[in-house]
Amino acid sequence: MKRAFRSTLLSTLLVSSMIALSACGGNAQNNSASSPDSGSASPSAGASASASEGGASDGKPVVIRHTMYDTEFTSEMVAEFEKTHPNIKVELVSADYNKLMAMMAAGNGPDIIRTNTNELPGYVLKGMALDLTENFNSSSVFHTDDFYPVVNNFRYDVTSGAQGTGPLYGFPKDWSPDFTIYYNKKMFEAAGIPVPSATDAMTWKEIVELGKKLTVANGKKVSQYGLVYFNGSTAANQDLMNLQLLQQGGSMFSSDFSSADLTTPQVKDLLNFWVDAAKSGVGPSPLHQETDWGGQLFVDNKAAMIIAGYWFSGFLKTNELTKDRLADFGVAPAPMAEGGKRISPTAFGTGAVIYKNSKHPKEAWEVFEWFFGGKPAEDRAKEGYGLPGTKTLAAMLPQTTEFDKLNYDFIQNELQYTEGTLPYSPFLNYQAVNSVFEKYFTPVYFDKDTVDGAAQKMTEELNTLIAEGKDLISPE
Amino acid sequence: MIRPAASGTAPALGAKPKRFRGKSFKEAMEFYVFISPWFVVFVLLGLIPLLYGLYLSFTNYAGFNMDRLKFVGFANYHKVFTDNDAMYSLGRTLLITGIMVPLSTILGFLLAVLLNQNIKNIGLYRTLFFIPSIIPVVAVGTMWRSLFVDDGVVNNALESLGLQPVDWLGYDYAMVPLLIMLLWGVGGGILIYLAGLKGVSKDLYEAAAIDGATALQRFVKITVPLVTPVLFFQFIMNIIGSLQIFVQPILLAANSNSLLSLPIRPNYVYSVHAFQQIFAYGRFGYGLALLWVLFIMILVLTVIVFSTSKLWVFYEVDQEGR
Repeated sequence: MKRAFRSTLLSTLLVSSMIALSACGGNAQNNSASSPDSGSASPSAGASASASEGGASDGKPVVIRHTMYDTEFTSEMVAEFEKTHPNIKVELVSADYNKLMAMMAAGNGPDIIRTNTNELPGYVLKGMALDLTENFNSSSVFHTDDFYPVVNNFRYDVTSGAQGTGPLYGFPKDWSPDFTIYYNKKMFEAAGIPVPSATDAMTWKEIVELGKKLTVANGKKVSQYGLVYFNGSTAANQDLMNLQLLQQGGSMFSSDFSSADLTTPQVKDLLNFWVDAAKSGVGPSPLHQETDWGGQLFVDNKAAMIIAGYWFSGFLKTNELTKDRLADFGVAPAPMAEGGKRISPTAFGTGAVIYKNSKHPKEAWEVFEWFFGGKPAEDRAKEGYGLPGTKTLAAMLPQTTEFDKLNYDFIQNELQYTEGTLPYSPFLNYQAVNSVFEKYFTPVYFDKDTVDGAAQKMTEELNTLIAEGKDLISPE
Repeated sequence: MIRPAASGTAPALGAKPKRFRGKSFKEAMEFYVFISPWFVVFVLLGLIPLLYGLYLSFTNYAGFNMDRLKFVGFANYHKVFTDNDAMYSLGRTLLITGIMVPLSTILGFLLAVLLNQNIKNIGLYRTLFFIPSIIPVVAVGTMWRSLFVDDGVVNNALESLGLQPVDWLGYDYAMVPLLIMLLWGVGGGILIYLAGLKGVSKDLYEAAAIDGATALQRFVKITVPLVTPVLFFQFIMNIIGSLQIFVQPILLAANSNSLLSLPIRPNYVYSVHAFQQIFAYGRFGYGLALLWVLFIMILVLTVIVFSTSKLWVFYEVDQEGR
């Protein structure tokens, strides 16, 4: 009897301590991402432990929660901010898309929400973003005439459904014109081809032809690709297609994004263009699978040209395999469509919005203003991993080494063409569109389906998803 | 349960009734107390979330509309059977199960039979064959993918033998790397098979040998029947596992850098479809319905196999009567 009681007590203690531990264990894992796909899946069980929200009135510091990465908003930055703002405590909350949505649904959203330019319209439509136009106008840190066009990507007009105009909801942390071309000079020399100009843009056809000349293949085995997209697949995807359509003044969607049509001749031409590119082996694709992303192939000397943004120059400067031979590399403008407008925009400009239902919008703005316009913004500009949102800060980009100067001069020229917003539909999940492309388009590369057939199926599925998305955002 | 013939003390007037003081009640209480740790965790972290998911499968939950859920009845379940992708992925899963389960059960068993000998260093061989099943699956998948790419080890080996390289990860052969990768881990079952094989009394073999039975006859007439309980267990577990296969096809996909990577069409299995529907498309309700249908299917298959077990599973100890 006694023994049974003792062991009962022991097991009860054990279980209650296990339950207590698992309940209190906050999730401090962060998604460290070098790739911009925001939908990476690791659903955490339930929302994170929310800290106490002491009101400013009762003297307790206000807690402002944000979803920036801990590499972006470091603990040193937090300490620096809290020293000069003793009434505010800054807390990091790690939240991927799914966890963020769960927090929204519980009415417990973080005060500052990390937002990519292509996510902004969706967030505004879901009622997550606070209108910050007045804050920016009356701010002493931000000067609206100093803004680059990229800031307009954080504007959205709910009535017309247009991104790029309307109230301002956020600000970029850093951004790059994501479709510029970094190339390996040595491979051009080896093939006896002159390097591309740093100021004049080639067309998409020209760049793929150039890539074919630089591709070194032995039968089906390719030892050197001519042109890779940064994610490691030179094939049709929504980023490249949206860019090409924007340059031609077209779109996969209707003007209010309420329907999709990929069966237009314009879209089908582009799809055929990419099928030919994939089949030619100019870059990795489902037909030529590699195990590395584009950047790794480039530094391993397996790719002659890579479509990547200014951030790639920062990557080359720190990567073990390239930092000592930076003179081998050059950069060329983003390709343009034949007869189209030269546009070299950002696809994944990262910034943030303020939660519409934040309990402390004033304090949230203080943190926001400091992080996106104060000293951290200056420091980011000086590091050279991305461009700032303002012209004054752009003067602080690194210019010391030859490679720095090369990139600086190039970017000053390219900045003339960066105005433009890629037409992603706010009613669709970015990930869902990726899946639709992969599902229906991969068979085309293997000749299991035609471009016409795939375009038809993709149009149907995207329209179904748009209808569902619209219904969820504004149910009848 | 054995009821005590008579309890020691007669109950006094007004005392607690017999059934709360008897030995059997105390035994029952101890039983529940001892399973309470597992039971509490199971209910809180297993049963309740599962039932909540069942409830959500009858709504249009999309991850952010918790405050305005619409009840859609059986619409999600109806979609499961009319969605081309769901039925296709179910077909691929059943095909993989149909190939893998017999192969892995039989191969695992034969491997265990071979490893049941008493030769020198048998422990080392057992370890070597067991190790593949304990390596984390992401490492395994990444490794096999890099072996099967165009410029990988497998194609280089084929070329050095004068054969043509094969596009292993393309449409026509995509299932082969998957099956090879899954069969590579077949040594995981030897632990249980060896336990079963060791349970066969040596006297039986000696008696048979004296009666003139060949090695094959001894194997078929003695070993196999006495090991059928273990074979049955592995068979069921393999079915349950195979129907849920998820991570391995994703790891063989092009750009397999996230769980959202899409496997190539021939490897598009049911769990991947459910995962995509939930996390890429945001159709939580539909994804949950898909998973509950899978659960029902696994349950039905398990019951069917159990009911046939009387015909072919031989237990040394009589299972009837308590």
